[in-house]
Amino acid sequence: MSKVTTASIDLSSIIKGQKSLKFADQEIKLHTRDLKVFYGDKEALHGITMDIPKHRVTAFIGPSGCGKSTLLRCFNRMNDLVDNCSISGEIILDNRNIYAKDIEVAELRRRVGMVFQKPNPFPKTVYENVAYGLRIQGVKKKRVIDESVEWALKSAALWDEVKDRLHDSALGLSGGQQQRLVIARTIAVKPDVLLLDEPASALDPISTLKIEELIHQLKKDFTIIIVTHNMQQAARVSDYTAFMYMGDLIEFGVTDTLFTNPDKKQTEDYITGRFG
Amino acid sequence: MKTSISSWTKSGSPWIWLNAGAVAICVIMVVSLIGLIAVRGLAHFWPADVIQATYTEQQSSRVVIGEVVQIEQVSATQLRDAGIVVAANIDSLERKLLKIGNRDMGGIDFSWVLDRDLSEVTKPAMLFTAERYEWGNLYGYIRSFKQADKTIAKIDSYPKSSLYLDLWRRVDQSMQRAQQLKKKILTIEKNQIGSINYQLERLRLKERRLELDANNDPQALAEIANERAQLQTDYHALEAMLIELYTDINRDSISVEVASGKIVPVQIASLVRIFRANDLRLDQKMLHYIEKLWEFVSEDPREANTEGGIFPAIFGTVMMVILMSIMVTPFGVVADEDIIEYAKQGFTTRLIRIAVNNLAGVPSIVYGVFGLGFFVYVLGGSIDQLFYAEALPSPTFGTGGLLWASITLALLTVPVVIVATEEGLSRIPRALKEGSLALGATKAETLFKIILPMTSPAMMTGVILAIARAAGEVAPLMLVGVVKLAPTLPLNMNYPYLHLDQKIMHLGFHIYDVGFQSPNVEASRPLVYATAFLLILVIALLNLSAVAIRNRLREKYKALEM
Amino acid sequence: MTTDEYKVSKTAGYSTHISKQFNDELEQIRTELLAMGGIVERQVHQSVDALLAGDLAMAEQALAIDIQTNAMELLIDERCTSIIARRQPAASDLRLIISISKAVVDLERMGDEAVRICKQTIELNINGGSHGFQEVRHIANLVRNMVKDVLTAFARGDIEQAYKVAKSDRAVDQEYRSAMRTLVSLMMEDPRTISSCLNVIWVLRSLERIGDHSRNMAEHIIYLVSGKNVRHQSIKDMKSTVEESI
Repeated sequence: MSKVTTASIDLSSIIKGQKSLKFADQEIKLHTRDLKVFYGDKEALHGITMDIPKHRVTAFIGPSGCGKSTLLRCFNRMNDLVDNCSISGEIILDNRNIYAKDIEVAELRRRVGMVFQKPNPFPKTVYENVAYGLRIQGVKKKRVIDESVEWALKSAALWDEVKDRLHDSALGLSGGQQQRLVIARTIAVKPDVLLLDEPASALDPISTLKIEELIHQLKKDFTIIIVTHNMQQAARVSDYTAFMYMGDLIEFGVTDTLFTNPDKKQTEDYITGRFG
Repeated sequence: MKTSISSWTKSGSPWIWLNAGAVAICVIMVVSLIGLIAVRGLAHFWPADVIQATYTEQQSSRVVIGEVVQIEQVSATQLRDAGIVVAANIDSLERKLLKIGNRDMGGIDFSWVLDRDLSEVTKPAMLFTAERYEWGNLYGYIRSFKQADKTIAKIDSYPKSSLYLDLWRRVDQSMQRAQQLKKKILTIEKNQIGSINYQLERLRLKERRLELDANNDPQALAEIANERAQLQTDYHALEAMLIELYTDINRDSISVEVASGKIVPVQIASLVRIFRANDLRLDQKMLHYIEKLWEFVSEDPREANTEGGIFPAIFGTVMMVILMSIMVTPFGVVADEDIIEYAKQGFTTRLIRIAVNNLAGVPSIVYGVFGLGFFVYVLGGSIDQLFYAEALPSPTFGTGGLLWASITLALLTVPVVIVATEEGLSRIPRALKEGSLALGATKAETLFKIILPMTSPAMMTGVILAIARAAGEVAPLMLVGVVKLAPTLPLNMNYPYLHLDQKIMHLGFHIYDVGFQSPNVEASRPLVYATAFLLILVIALLNLSAVAIRNRLREKYKALEM
Repeated sequence: MTTDEYKVSKTAGYSTHISKQFNDELEQIRTELLAMGGIVERQVHQSVDALLAGDLAMAEQALAIDIQTNAMELLIDERCTSIIARRQPAASDLRLIISISKAVVDLERMGDEAVRICKQTIELNINGGSHGFQEVRHIANLVRNMVKDVLTAFARGDIEQAYKVAKSDRAVDQEYRSAMRTLVSLMMEDPRTISSCLNVIWVLRSLERIGDHSRNMAEHIIYLVSGKNVRHQSIKDMKSTVEESI
């Protein structure tokens, strides 16, 4: 935990067995309240209630089909695109239910950016990729866009690699660079929340580490939620981890605790690689 | 042995050979077809030698002059049946098809002659071929050249002599003069008088509109009368000019000795060109050939489409295909986008899909009938009622025209575009669309900025297929606006420049018309080939440009085809 | 399975991983630790027996075993490192590896203390005298039981027994203090016994250390099973922690 320096540790509290990172102290960015998602008649999420802290990395882990991606896609209403998908319960982002009628979905998605499993740069130049979101927002001034593009690429630790080829096609970048470009594109519009849907699953280990380092850098500005199949990755990058199974939130807690001493047998079985 | 055959079968090479064979046959067929059409069509423009011979038929003999168009063997039995005496030991005889021209005198252009009945076949140098604006070709010898009823030069002999050549030079000069005057007359008749007529018609319609609106504004009426008077004055001035030009152009004439020995007078102005085919050097022949080709693609047709050029047909075809492409592309794409993206996937969508796929199989004449019934009568009729009431009862849009032809074709080709576009859309990764939406783009923004540019290669493929189908379509067009002879091009200098209501000419229909509806089938057959060749050329050209566009687009998005 | 049932069975199976090889590795390292425990236990027994019986040969024997203990320590250490590097164990697996790697250290120390006892035995035989052996015998029995019990607790994942071991460390400490008092008064009475008494004190000291290491191991077992760190806690706190976890 980088933010907990040794000096600030209350030594006596450690002996008493109290954890250094607790929930109660955190400012909460997102709440879900009894969130249920249905695909047709099938209930994919069975009433999820959780609080996601601000400016922290929260990881969702769980086996395939456990509903973690579904839950993630609820946060920017990507599930709206799926036919016969319906949702009950609420998700509150900064005191407003994002499923309220007066919420404009496009505006919501600007505030809650999303990065997908496979790098999906647009078939445009590197520059245009990053500028896309800004242009959508109606930003016209070249100077403003230039600055934003540079800032986003620097934040995504990509600037040094692409500054000489900004006007080349983004499809010429490597997989890891493409994924960082996509992250840059997403943060260029300055969202509050960054949703990462298995952002490194298609990348090699070094690119994966770069993405993980990037996540670490970005959490001071963004609330990050990451879905991953890779438990070690969750353990490495996240502050909090939620374990989901069969559409239920089984366990949600501080990553350190969850990975050393989980509360629930299902969690234990999953993270130690046992038969479920 | 048995094992070796079965292993050969298993190795798959028979299928490879079969495939290669099929492809080779296809290629050979295509190349031979195009070759045949090209040779038959393009040979027509070569200046053929003209023969002069004595033709003996049932003891009477006469002189024939003409171009050999075709040579064939005919069986003796057939000839005997026709009452021709043929020696018993002869199985077949050669006969020639001669283009003898001089239709105004003999009534026929072509004549079959038996080779054995021809004697004293010569190719005289001074024998000339003249193309006329009317009555087809004229073959014969020039006997005299007259200028305003005064004989300037005269000759009686047949061989090539300096005197004769001198006479030729005069005729040539006179021809050039006549051509220039002709051009002037054409400009006045077609452009200036045409324009005045068009404006007069507009004035009439304006007046009629006022009348229909029960508007008796004297000022407006006065204005119209004023303008009309102005135009009338212009018209009279032009008319006077024309009369002058006509007397001028008809100043010169020649007298010609034709095959029968008769001397006939011929106006220089009635000739398109005059040349001595037997006396042309190779380079002159080539020049002549190029001139004829150029005339073919750039001039208006003459003589019920059997002579002259086919420019209006080329123009009409291209114009219509381009209009069709402009209409079919957005229509197909929007329809497809709707089916795939917006419509709820279900029974209705499936029904629409089935309908679209079946539309591709509907016979084109059905589209023609639909176009005539719906577009021309219903839509066009309503448009006339609403906007062109002043022109009624003569219809404006209520009759076939460029617009309706294009729309009918667009409808005909829409399934092709939809299917091709769908193919392209399904290849776009879903992740890209989601990526755009996740950045806060609306569906429309995503569609226009991401999806459409990426679908464009597939769309172009669809358009290519559509062009290929549309350009060759004839049957429906006959019902919705293609005619044998259109007086003016749909794009001209008269406001509003593009005349969507105008009837057009079309290469495909031209082929049909010239080939099967012509009064003079023999004369026009080479033209059918030439026109067919040109049609193929036009389609290939349209296709190639679309392919070029598509390839450029595809190059742009190549990396996504993973 | 309810949470309560789960707590009981938390360490029940190292044989339920999807990776059979991982199962085997964990099972092997556990067996090896128990084997090492057995060696150390024998070492402690023999050294105490040699002391009480004044059997020099047995003392030499117990000394020789130490090589095995040390070798086992190195082996198990290596296995722990390898499993961490290759398997990145989590949760109970992680705790198992960490506990084993710590327990190994404690066991090795116990072996070292047994070696000390043997050396003292040899010296005592040279110095002569058997003063204070009564106290030694008592503590030795207590400590031997602790070692045995802690190994059983580890083998069974039995935190109650582990707690009992931790508790009996207090008894050992008390015995140690009273034995010291006795020996001090003995030395005051008869200064000639000082030399042999000092030897006995060293033995007592070693036995007390073995008790401490057993208690450490018991704490590792509690951590391993319950996931709670009970080190540096009072016995009372430890008791409540253990009761909570059952």
